[in-house]
Amino acid sequence: MLKLDPIWQPDIQQANFRLLLDAMAYPGRCFTLHTVPKEGHITLSVLATLLDAEVTFSDPYSLLRTDDWPMLQAKSTSADKADYVLCDASQLPKFSPKLGTLPDPERSATLILMVNNLGQGEQTLKLSGPGIKDTESLSIDGLNAEWLAKRNDWVCSFPLGVDMILVDEQHVAALPRTTKVEVE
Amino acid sequence: MIQRTAWVSALKALPTNNLLSLTTKLSEDWTLRPKSVSQSGLGMMKLKDSAFNETFYLGEFPLAFAWLEVTTPDGHKAEGAAQVMDDRVEVAEALALCDAVLSAQLPGWEQVYNMVEQGVAINEKANRERKMILARTRVDFSLLDNVGDENAEA
Repeated sequence: MLKLDPIWQPDIQQANFRLLLDAMAYPGRCFTLHTVPKEGHITLSVLATLLDAEVTFSDPYSLLRTDDWPMLQAKSTSADKADYVLCDASQLPKFSPKLGTLPDPERSATLILMVNNLGQGEQTLKLSGPGIKDTESLSIDGLNAEWLAKRNDWVCSFPLGVDMILVDEQHVAALPRTTKVEVE
Repeated sequence: MIQRTAWVSALKALPTNNLLSLTTKLSEDWTLRPKSVSQSGLGMMKLKDSAFNETFYLGEFPLAFAWLEVTTPDGHKAEGAAQVMDDRVEVAEALALCDAVLSAQLPGWEQVYNMVEQGVAINEKANRERKMILARTRVDFSLLDNVGDENAEA
C-alpha cells in the first residue's frame, strides 16, 4: 500500500552496502551510488544503508529534515559520542569524534562528509596505504582543508581513529583510518 | 466513542480481507507517505523469573509495525500508526491507515468505526467465552479443609 523511495528497499541497501565495502577496500576510488533519494538530502542513500536502531547518529550541521530521523531509526546523540556523524565538509569541523579504545578500536566514529564534487575539484589528495597500489589521486571540490588537518590528529594513534566516507551528488569514496593522505 | 487504544485489537478481530478491501477503497485517491519504514519480524518476549529475578526469553512472536501520514485531495492531513502481532506489513499499514482515518475523522471514518464496533463485539464475546471456560475449570481448594487429612492419626 505504501510506496517507499528505493533507498529504503533492502535490495538497494544491500547493493549500496557492497559498494561501501568496495569503497573502504579501495580508498580514494570513486564509486557511483546505485540510487539517489527522490527527495531529501543526497547522503540519505548512504545513511539508509548504514544506520539502524542499534547505532547512534549525529547531524551537527543540521543537514537532514526532521522527517528523515524516524526513517533512519538511529538514536540521536551529540557528535562526540555518535557512531556516525553527518558533516558538511565545506564548513569547519566543530567537534571531536570518538576514536575507539585500544581493546575496542571499532567503537569509533564514521564520518560521512558531504562535498560538492568527487573526482574533480581544486583540491587533489595523494593517498597511500592498505588497498592502494603505490599511490591513488583523489580530486575533491568543497572539502575544507581543516578536516584533513584534524584527521591527521585523529588517526595518528592507530588502531584508534576515524573512518571517513565522502559523498557528492552521485559518488562515494572512502578514507579509512589506515590511509595516509597528503595534499598535492 | 470507543477508546483509541482498543481500535487495533478490535479491527484485528475481523477478517483481514474485509479490512484490506476497505482501506484500499478508502485510500484510492489519497496520498500515503511513510513516516517510518514499515517492518515485520519477530519480537522477543522478555520475562523475569520469580525466584532469582533474572531475565529470560519466553519465546518469539510475530510483530509488524507501520507509521504513515495520509493527505486527502482536499488537503486534510492525518497520521496513524499500528503495532500488531502479525507477520504481514500490509496488515500493519491497513491498521495504521484506519488509526489515521478515525483519529482525524477523515472521509469514510464511519465505515471504519462500524468495523471497530463489530470487532469490539467479537472480542467481548470471546472474552465472555474465556471467562466461562475459566469458571468451569476453577478448583475450589476450600473443600479440602472439610475432607481433612485421611492419613492423620486420630
